[in-house]
Amino acid sequence: MTKKSIREKMYVPEIPQKEIEKLRNSIKLSSKKAIADHIQRMKKTSANRPKTMKYFDEIADLFGQREKELRAAKEEGKKVIGYLCTFAPIELILAADAIPVRVSSGWYDASKLGDRIVPVEVCPIIRSTIGAKMIDLSPYMELSDAIISPLTCDGMTKLSEILSDYKQIWTMSFPRVKDTPSSLSSWTEEVKNMKERIEEFTGNKITGKKLRSAIELMQRATGAFRRLQDLRKGPPVIMGRDAMLVTQTSTWDDIKRWTEKTEALCDELEKKVREKSWACPQDTSRILITGTPMIWPDNWKLPALIEEASPQGVIVADELCSGDRLLNDPVGVDEWTMDDMLTAISERYLMASTCPCFTSEDGNEDRINWLLTKIKDFKINGVIYYVVRGCMLYAMEYTRVKRALESMDIPIYYLDTEYTREDVGQLKTRVEAFLEMLSARIDF
Amino acid sequence: MKVVQEGKKEYWRWQEYQKILSSKNWEKSDIITAGVDVGSVGSKAVVMINGEVYSWSVTRTGSNSPDSAKKAIGWAMEGTGLELDDFKYIVGTGYGRVNVPMANKAVTEIACHAKGANHIWGPTVRTILDVGGQDIKAIRCDQTGRVTSFLMNDKCAAGTGRGMEVFADLLQIPIEDIGEVSLRVDEEPEPVSCTCVAFAKTEAMGLLRKGWSKEKVLAAYTRAMAIRMCALLKRVGIEKDFVITGGQSKNIGVVTRIEKILGIKRLPMPNWRGGGLDPMIAGALGAAIIAKALHERSK
Repeated sequence: MTKKSIREKMYVPEIPQKEIEKLRNSIKLSSKKAIADHIQRMKKTSANRPKTMKYFDEIADLFGQREKELRAAKEEGKKVIGYLCTFAPIELILAADAIPVRVSSGWYDASKLGDRIVPVEVCPIIRSTIGAKMIDLSPYMELSDAIISPLTCDGMTKLSEILSDYKQIWTMSFPRVKDTPSSLSSWTEEVKNMKERIEEFTGNKITGKKLRSAIELMQRATGAFRRLQDLRKGPPVIMGRDAMLVTQTSTWDDIKRWTEKTEALCDELEKKVREKSWACPQDTSRILITGTPMIWPDNWKLPALIEEASPQGVIVADELCSGDRLLNDPVGVDEWTMDDMLTAISERYLMASTCPCFTSEDGNEDRINWLLTKIKDFKINGVIYYVVRGCMLYAMEYTRVKRALESMDIPIYYLDTEYTREDVGQLKTRVEAFLEMLSARIDF
Repeated sequence: MKVVQEGKKEYWRWQEYQKILSSKNWEKSDIITAGVDVGSVGSKAVVMINGEVYSWSVTRTGSNSPDSAKKAIGWAMEGTGLELDDFKYIVGTGYGRVNVPMANKAVTEIACHAKGANHIWGPTVRTILDVGGQDIKAIRCDQTGRVTSFLMNDKCAAGTGRGMEVFADLLQIPIEDIGEVSLRVDEEPEPVSCTCVAFAKTEAMGLLRKGWSKEKVLAAYTRAMAIRMCALLKRVGIEKDFVITGGQSKNIGVVTRIEKILGIKRLPMPNWRGGGLDPMIAGALGAAIIAKALHERSK
């Protein structure tokens, strides 16, 4: 399909094709190295790493098998619909026989290109996503026929505008307060509009039957995810990075196959639990990370630091929209009517979310409550609150979270960074000092 | 054309030294441990015998961490008859901690400074400000010297030892004197607006051209740095007793201003030229203490 110019470019400068190719090739090359390097390191960190991780290691290659599959599906006439934020109702995409794929960027080097359009003060995920688009770096973004962009944070809001220079972007207007009388109804309207839009675009009608099977497909994915989560509540049977990668691959993999592979992983992990074969020593500090999303492949910096640190930590849970938030909540349907299903989808995306874009008189209570529940369920020793510079909402909510956690005597550490490799030494000192503080074994 | 070779004085250069505290003879049966703190600017080593400080060294970090570590511990052993084989356990710390070849284990300087400060000033210490060569750390600890929380500045070197070296050179004032010189002003000038070393230097040059005295420029820079350190301390929360470690503990200009801003006095600095311990070695000292604990556990 030839790329058609949707309208005159408002943001993006003309870059000579030669320069685009040069930049893309060099970043793609270093990205392939980064992917291989991270997987190698993950293998090294985990004792008795599950054999079923092999599948996820392969699907983690952003320039590999999945790209080919998407291309083939498109040749057969299927549409690929990308999304930038986890509020996009992917059940609707699936029900229209289209393929959902998340397109936010984790490439460090691409963020430097985004600097040509927006100032460096802007969140690096936004800058990197812009940069990736400037040089056609992300196969999933390139293959997307349209992109859904829920307007959650300020970065996402303007990002959708900038990406409109290249792509068909479908925005979804989003209520910032969950519990006003109009918030759910207005969001449900957005969901319904999106349904029509997808139907029109794909030419496929979303029937009740199709929507029901899409919801059930995602419910099974949620079931597999929750099974994996339950396994992480006990002694560490899987390293955090492995579990995080599994979860994140669900945003680009075929979700049916992903569910099967995750169930297989859980089978293997249950066997390991019976054999008491742990991924790291049982007394390793149990860490929860919360904050700005961490996107594969480059922005795997903090999880790597934690699990390769001395003393070591193991990430047993996270509260990230690139992690545990993705699949935690199933769509709960009472009656399988179209109206009920759409309302249930609307509720699942709005009410279950703990994104800091929400506020209310009582603040973002849902996030605090979920954190406290997770801390208890996963027996967390310490929390690392991770923020990339420019991520205002997470940065601003820190003090509130800190207070809530400190009142429960849970150590929390604020760690701010950028889309760069340069601060790894400094971050290592911080992470290790925090782990030393937590570690009972380093009782000097 | 004749090139005139000027004798260039290195104003930034601070004194490297070694000190042996005790004249007592060590024996093979003693528990001899060491801490080696390879910082970004200074490398320090402390030798402990049965948990008591025996000797130490303060040296300049070179371009290579392993060599700097060797130099530091080499100086600390010089004239003592000790050899590396005599050590039961060595802990490496500081920015170059993973590159200390003789170390049995690496521990962060945050844990080490807390432990070292606890040893130097006693169990009442609760808050430590460590101003190193390229970063600033505010650390809270309990009565045993265990870290309870901490904050570190970001990767910028402003307000640290390195920044002071740059200013000593720019103003041609020996580094040992800059604290005292910065206090020679009748009235505190406005702090410089840039905390970045490079920009602050440019700003200082502008002020000098405007006719400001060296003292006034130095006061403006020192004050800006003190404000920055206090901001970090306020974020971590200050509880008495409060102490300052690292090279900047000797900068009376910084210390006086911090005390004034916070309204809290630090515990006095030991007479390190006499029989006391140098606050610059707090990290290496903590490492040597931790080394002893780890040795005893490994038995």
